Amino acid sequence: MKKNPDGVSSKLTSLMQLSPPDGLLPKDRPPEIYPQLYFDAAVPDEEEFVPEPPSLKTKENTPEQPGVEIPPSDNTLLIERTVRSGQSVNFPGHVVVMGDVNPGAEIVAGGHIMVFGSLRGVAHAGALGSKSARVAALCLNPTQLRIADHITRAPDGDEFKPHQPEIAKINDGSIVIEKYCPGWERGE
Amino acid sequence: MGDVIVVTSGKGGVGKTTTTANLGTGLAKQGYSVVLVDTDIGLRNLDVVMGLENRIVYDIVDVTNGHCRLKQALIKDKRFEKMYLLPAAQTKEKTAVTQEQMVELCRNLKNEFDYVIIDCPAGIEQGFKNAIIGAEKAIVVTTPEVAAVRDADRVIGLLEAQGIEQPQLVINRIRADMVKHGDMMDIDDIIDILAVDLLGVVPEDELIVISTNRGEPAVLDVQSKAGEAYRNISRRIAGEDVPIMPLEVNEGIMSRLKKLIGMR
Repeated sequence: MKKNPDGVSSKLTSLMQLSPPDGLLPKDRPPEIYPQLYFDAAVPDEEEFVPEPPSLKTKENTPEQPGVEIPPSDNTLLIERTVRSGQSVNFPGHVVVMGDVNPGAEIVAGGHIMVFGSLRGVAHAGALGSKSARVAALCLNPTQLRIADHITRAPDGDEFKPHQPEIAKINDGSIVIEKYCPGWERGE
Repeated sequence: MGDVIVVTSGKGGVGKTTTTANLGTGLAKQGYSVVLVDTDIGLRNLDVVMGLENRIVYDIVDVTNGHCRLKQALIKDKRFEKMYLLPAAQTKEKTAVTQEQMVELCRNLKNEFDYVIIDCPAGIEQGFKNAIIGAEKAIVVTTPEVAAVRDADRVIGLLEAQGIEQPQLVINRIRADMVKHGDMMDIDDIIDILAVDLLGVVPEDELIVISTNRGEPAVLDVQSKAGEAYRNISRRIAGEDVPIMPLEVNEGIMSRLKKLIGMR
């Protein structure tokens, strides 16, 4: 575990930096996955994948169902359930998950990602290129963490379990993780 | 030009992924260049068994769809310079890859590596067809259970129909004590039914559970009996003549004592 001068711990090692033409950024992804959210489920017709809150849409019924609205704030998506392996959430705004994000699951957001639970899967914040995007979780333990065009992963070997809410952001060109302190942005 | 070998079984849970990981690592340890291809789209596991899950950025579907170059999706192993993994996609479906794309992919990989080892999904549907279409050789994994042997027989028939002659058999998770008491199918019984060449026999081993959970193939563990069996199998694949390891009954201390004082 490496500490940088201002006490910020960077438990994630920098893996690589991709330049935008090499993919990863949404413009290189198939256009149909933006800007709508879908759960790319193995069994899409199962009842589990039918949207519960009005904001959830499945890939299948996205174009046809006029009754399903984009969430009120227009750019934040609230998911009130566990995002499981094989499920993928793609959303151009912020994503808030009240539940866990399990290994094998993927959250790609144009803005911030907040997980009120354990983040164990892959999170990609600022996927449209915003380097100021952040990823926060009550238990931040991702397989891989991406912010804009930066990618990091947990170091090999030592199992690390955080016991406090943490937040990841880009600091001096690399992703760092620090304890989540309310109000830190205003310098309080 | 390398060999393209598919590891398949029909039945699930018999040890395809474990076998793929261990044989690939065994061959890499011998100095060959190896690429492991996970074709179990939607239920990928090979990356976890290899301990490479957190390095995945692109996957096989990104390659076949042209979203990235093949080299970008290949993940270099932690332990061996010349071993790579091409992971499956987790959020897509089996139909995301076509048979033509698999043939093309196998042809490209074959030019770069000595061994291309394909981990096949369970079942005999689209995923299975994709996995075997580009292969020239096959390793069929079975366990000494009637159901697993039945499925292996079906799969061998399908492989032969595909033009993959002479699939080789790996019998996994065999327990010498149960075979001895007649509670488990014997190696000869299985060979009798399947009528294929035996490539190796892997004993049941607790260390396999530990090593797969840790993401470190058992073939590198000198303590592991199963690891030793996999080392031998990988040497056989490379063309060496290694005799099949005799099954050892793991005796308890009492029976050993009895034997010592001549009660048995």
